[in-house]
Amino acid sequence: MFEKRYLGSRFTASLMLVAAIAITAVSGLSYMKMREPGPDIDRVVPHAGFEHKRLSDWFEGLAGTPADTDIYVQEGAEPGGTVLILGGTHANEPAGVIAAVVMLEQADVKRGRLMIAPYANPMARTHTFPQDAHPQTFSFRTPNGVTRAFRYGARITNPVNEWPNPDIYIHPESGQTMAGIERSNLNRAHPGVADGGATERLAYGFMELIKQEKVDLAIDLHEASPEYPVVDALVAHERAMELAAMVTMELEFEGVPIRLEPSPKNLRGLNHREWGDNADVLAVLLETCNASAGRFRGRTDEALILTGEDKAYEKAAGLGRLYVPWESFDKRFEERVARHVTTVRLLADNLEFVREGKGVTVEGLPAYQELSDLGVGAFLSD
Amino acid sequence: MEWFWPEGFYTIVMVGVFAVASFAFKQPIAVALAIAAIIGALVSGNGVPIDHLIEGSFGYLDTILIIFCAMIFMKTVQHIGLMESVAAWMIRKFRVLPFRLTMGITVLLMIPGMITGSSSAAVLTAGAIVTPTLLKLGVPPVKAAAAIALAAIYGMIAPPINIPAMIIGGGIDMPYVGFGIPLLICTVPLAIFTGMLLIFPSLKQHAAEVGPGTDDSELEEELTRMSRVPLTVRLMLPFFVLVVLLGGERLFPQYAPSLGMPLAFLLAAASGLLVGRDWKPFEAATEAIQAALPVAGILVGVGMFIQIMTMTGVRGFFVVSALALPAWLLYVGIATSLPLFGAVSAYGSATVLGVPFLLALLGRDEIVVGAALSLIAGLGDLMPPTALAGLFAAQVVGVKNYFSVLKVCLLPAVVTAIWGIMIILGANWL
Amino acid sequence: MILTWIYWAICLFMVILVLRSLYREKSLREQWVAAMVLVPLLLRVLMIK
Repeated sequence: MFEKRYLGSRFTASLMLVAAIAITAVSGLSYMKMREPGPDIDRVVPHAGFEHKRLSDWFEGLAGTPADTDIYVQEGAEPGGTVLILGGTHANEPAGVIAAVVMLEQADVKRGRLMIAPYANPMARTHTFPQDAHPQTFSFRTPNGVTRAFRYGARITNPVNEWPNPDIYIHPESGQTMAGIERSNLNRAHPGVADGGATERLAYGFMELIKQEKVDLAIDLHEASPEYPVVDALVAHERAMELAAMVTMELEFEGVPIRLEPSPKNLRGLNHREWGDNADVLAVLLETCNASAGRFRGRTDEALILTGEDKAYEKAAGLGRLYVPWESFDKRFEERVARHVTTVRLLADNLEFVREGKGVTVEGLPAYQELSDLGVGAFLSD
Repeated sequence: MEWFWPEGFYTIVMVGVFAVASFAFKQPIAVALAIAAIIGALVSGNGVPIDHLIEGSFGYLDTILIIFCAMIFMKTVQHIGLMESVAAWMIRKFRVLPFRLTMGITVLLMIPGMITGSSSAAVLTAGAIVTPTLLKLGVPPVKAAAAIALAAIYGMIAPPINIPAMIIGGGIDMPYVGFGIPLLICTVPLAIFTGMLLIFPSLKQHAAEVGPGTDDSELEEELTRMSRVPLTVRLMLPFFVLVVLLGGERLFPQYAPSLGMPLAFLLAAASGLLVGRDWKPFEAATEAIQAALPVAGILVGVGMFIQIMTMTGVRGFFVVSALALPAWLLYVGIATSLPLFGAVSAYGSATVLGVPFLLALLGRDEIVVGAALSLIAGLGDLMPPTALAGLFAAQVVGVKNYFSVLKVCLLPAVVTAIWGIMIILGANWL
Repeated sequence: MILTWIYWAICLFMVILVLRSLYREKSLREQWVAAMVLVPLLLRVLMIK
């Protein structure tokens, strides 16, 4: 600004433009890989008996849009209730996604019906969030040595699908105001709007599915940061409290301590609130502990996602800043998945006690210790 | 040592490369930040991750659009003659009322910063316009530059738009809502204090010398030139449009359409086509972008820098180190490190340090603390080498040596930092 | 969504203005800055990121 060195010319400007276009192309190709990752990434091998559907089968407004997502349905021989499982409401909470995939690949339904949406918000999977520096994928190895890779996405819908966000987002159902970015957060958009934004329409699709299929129990699988008060927790709508309390006790008995939190009445747009209020469904949300999305985390890479080990968190724990006992605490990916799978299994097992005749029996799901010991890869198909 | 290695080393490398690139090689801040980010990635064994670097800059894409559109609005207001008209009107009216004139000039200096959230924008627009008046009315150049720089910074921090506060709040998922009153508490007393300290004495002396009714033909000439576009309600149209669009969205979000700030600024600028003297909109817009590019570039560079900080673990190292400070040292740390880090940029300071400090202070009213932190981070715009507000102000007034300006800024800056800390300490009573 | 298209147009407008600035800029260093700012704007105009 203050020196007079006029080295620039139209020629150098053209060189700069070429450089800018080259950088745009190189980075753009990388971002496109998240949009179209190829057949090997995010591949699932559903267990025999699952029928592949799309959310647009319940809400046509999603057909042909990026918001439409896979729903897998398996019905047991014996009649019973219906359980819906969502993974990937937030695509940067990977144990929730992988727990849904493991169940999709292992579940053998004997009674009732199991519905799984492993990638609930597909628009959150197509990008990583700025300044979070997450790797695009993380992977596991099956016993036969096949690599199963999955995308690590973002908490919110890709701006390519929904932009710009308002300065202030008004939850349509309640009028509650939130930060503008929450419009793109699936778990603030429930119960959704049929002709709303992409994320609101997606939420509407899930609400329709729950209503039309008379879902008895809906479970959303999440992860939270270690510095967040609601971690390793089960959040339940008041009508689901009885079931949740039973399961909490059983988990305690199995040596898997978990917090039980009532769904706050004044926090709107979250599925455990809106599903429970808008349909005759027992709505719960599960949280495990994910350091890779936390604010205090150190080096951000695949190892952090899979091991949960982080020296910055270790130090923060020493300063009393965390809500989990860091030292004695198992934060490995398989442990987090095992928690989710076990909690889901117990919720399904106990459904019969709170809804007579609506029990759901699922066999084949890995036991807690088994999954924790053998790792996730052991329970993924080739 | 175990805590320090290797993240502390990466920190030194990144900050060091930035310093060398900007001081020794005189690179623009934006480029120096990008180079530092690239070297940081290389040293930590990540190669040159172009996709990560660019992804980091996307964190500020919306902010860049806001700055660009706000700058176009400012240029419009300048080109149609509204700014000069207002200044001339004010001097005529309040020349013999030095206190009101001081306050009026201070407000005028703050307005562009309040609207655009950028102190540079304020200095380059309102600062440029009031400079001749200040000098004519007998304010020494160094003091005029200091007053412009400081008022611009208070304007940047004052509501409705305060980008450092948005950045700090965004770091803990806190919406930018309810900041209005705390930010006024943060800025108004300081703006009055600074105006009284730097401008008022000279204006008072001038008023005493000229007295009412005295002829001052040179000044009168300047005023006539400035007010050649008469100050009419129609001339004020762009401001009214902006106030209605931005105010409506904020105050009545249920009813007003949510256009977003960039569109609101552009529509207000477009309304300038209907008023005032002839001007070339496309030229004005290009001029605006040229003026805003350094700031936009810094945001792109800061985004890259932060992405690599996150990737290499430097961010976590920084954040948890800040959390580890004992309580009393925490306040000293806030008062010194936030402005010092502003040597990179006030926005960068808000992101890298503002967020962890806010986390360390959880339990106090978060909005008030966030507002106060943004105030202290704003001081970074006085800190060389970037010193956006300070350097531009010195340039506008025509002072060659910025350090003479910085010396005058010192007392108000210290008072600002202390005021910020007091607000944090009293956050829960406010 | 109409607003998305309006913002897309705003982004495109900014790309044009940044390009004009780039070609007017006499300092090589400031040309670098313009090129840096251009990249994210281009990626958004192309709806890639």
